[in-house]
Amino acid sequence: MNKFSRIAATVSTVAIAACVATSVMAADIFVIGGKPDDPFWSRVKKGAEDAGVVAEAQGGSVTWLGPQNYDNLGPDAAELIRQAIDQGADAIVGPDWVPEAMDPAFEAVVAAGIPLVIYNAGGIEAADRLGAMNYVGAVDYKSGYAGGEYLGSAGHKNGACVNTLPGAANIEAFCNGFNDGIKAAGGTGSVLQLPATAFGDATAVAQAVRAHLLQNPDIDAMFAIGDGDTNATVSGISQAGKAGKVHVCGMNFNDSILNNIQQGTQDCAIDQQGYQQGFFAVSILNNFVNYGVTIPTREILTGPGVIDASNVDLVIEGVKAGAR
Amino acid sequence: MSRQSDSRSFPVSLGSIARRPEAGSLVGLVIVYTFFAILGGAVFIGAPGWSSWLNIAAEVGIVALPVGLLMIAGELDISVGSVIPASSMTAAIVSGHYELPAVVGIVAALGVGLLVGFVNGYLVVRTRIPSLIVTIGTMFAVMGLTLGFAVLISGSTSVFLVPDPVTKTVLGAFIGGMFNVSMFWWAGFAVAIFYLLHVSPIGNWIFAVGGDRESAHNAGIPVKWLTVSLYMLSGFAAAFVGVLQLMTYQSAQVAAGQSFIFNSIMCVVIGGVLLTGGAGSVIGIVIGTMTFAIVNQGIFFSGLDPNVGSLIIGALLLGAVLSNDTFRKLALNYATKKS
Repeated sequence: MNKFSRIAATVSTVAIAACVATSVMAADIFVIGGKPDDPFWSRVKKGAEDAGVVAEAQGGSVTWLGPQNYDNLGPDAAELIRQAIDQGADAIVGPDWVPEAMDPAFEAVVAAGIPLVIYNAGGIEAADRLGAMNYVGAVDYKSGYAGGEYLGSAGHKNGACVNTLPGAANIEAFCNGFNDGIKAAGGTGSVLQLPATAFGDATAVAQAVRAHLLQNPDIDAMFAIGDGDTNATVSGISQAGKAGKVHVCGMNFNDSILNNIQQGTQDCAIDQQGYQQGFFAVSILNNFVNYGVTIPTREILTGPGVIDASNVDLVIEGVKAGAR
Repeated sequence: MSRQSDSRSFPVSLGSIARRPEAGSLVGLVIVYTFFAILGGAVFIGAPGWSSWLNIAAEVGIVALPVGLLMIAGELDISVGSVIPASSMTAAIVSGHYELPAVVGIVAALGVGLLVGFVNGYLVVRTRIPSLIVTIGTMFAVMGLTLGFAVLISGSTSVFLVPDPVTKTVLGAFIGGMFNVSMFWWAGFAVAIFYLLHVSPIGNWIFAVGGDRESAHNAGIPVKWLTVSLYMLSGFAAAFVGVLQLMTYQSAQVAAGQSFIFNSIMCVVIGGVLLTGGAGSVIGIVIGTMTFAIVNQGIFFSGLDPNVGSLIIGALLLGAVLSNDTFRKLALNYATKKS
């Protein structure tokens, strides 16, 4: 071995050692998400940061990149992904909100050899298409299914899904899921389709629910597709004189819904558990970058999480901590 | 204009009823009610059915009354659609987010309505821009401000408020579990606005302004003052509905209220108000509102596809305009024959 090759060997050893050292010492993870002041995304961010405590203990970091507003969501988010690449990310987490605008940026992440996890939106299909390691998030259909299954298993066999936004794909998925869920539990499901003029008008939703219940006295279970609609549905049920006879589950929750669950006027709320999305996406990447360990399970579902009387107090504690 | 039948010949003949401006609307109401009573059966005819459409009618009705006055005076107000969420959001932020007493929130919410009404009226009388355009402009402006402030202050597009028992009873309770107190407020608004339009001298001013703005001005009617006041009344009523909705459903959302724009105009037109101004009555507007609400709710009792309801409302609207013309001609013919 001549002098030159000795130097070369030393240099390359040092270089390899340096590389190994940095990758062991620091996983700099960039997380693309919503605005930090958005209530849902603030929980996702808390999950990411809580998982980031481990990354930081190992010398790494977690950086949250969110858009200023949602006016130009796809291009803005694509820009954030490219920023993460430029800032030397060791791993990237991102939601596939607008595939047309964001897929090229995600492809650039994979092309640069940076481990990628898709979360929150896009599903396992997006992860497969883009060559991402995994998908972490909830699935609309399964959220509805959980509501139907919950009410059906509790003995409420005749369900109706209140669809205030006919035609929207995710809402149809909630309602299809609900109907399939209640059927699986031995019941029957239907959809109360409201005219488009009723959207956002709580009185119109409540009165429609009420009229539908009076006309179809057999219905004993209902599913609402959002927290505002759930409040209106609960009101419609009590106006129909059916409080306690017709049982309700709804998507998402807020303080008044948790209160209703405590009071017993609402049976359950379905939560996609944003905290878990941030937490697991970051954990998966941190462990992979540091130790090369993987999660072979494809499609990590963070939802549906069911909130009912049995766990509502714990959820309220979680709300106070900013995790729910 | 609508007071011609005051003095003589009080014995009510069929002919005089047919020549009342509300006659066409009343016929529509009877037909629609009968239609849904047959389809909807006992439940629709009973108390549950009545409370169902009255609850809907009350909220649209409170907005439709002042919007009707504006239309009689020859103006439109589109901005009601964003005043409703702006008001409920204001009250929810003041009393829910900052936890001030409910009264403070309600006053602030009604203040927002009056302010938007004032801006509308001021822009309409100061510029020559048609009121349709002015109020579309303020509608979008108010919508944007509501969204902006809601997110800025509360970090969310929906804010929640659990009202105290007194507020809840007065503004958001259900009597007998089904009749919303809003219908009493609607009745109150109807009586007050009936007095304004058909008894007080201001009513004649409103008809005169709608008939011919220039002549009304020349006759010494304070047209500008009147226009601004009517817009403030409409902003106030919309804000009041926003407060009612907040107290009833305990949540305010930035997107709510858009449906009130067309719904209120439809109620007014079905009620026989002339779109070009100068003719109409409070009783007609109330009847129009009832008709609209009966179709809206009856559809859920009838087992028909809800979209058929929209079809019927559309047909009613066209029918109302056509029949208004017919009845107006009838009235004019009668008058000419008599002289």
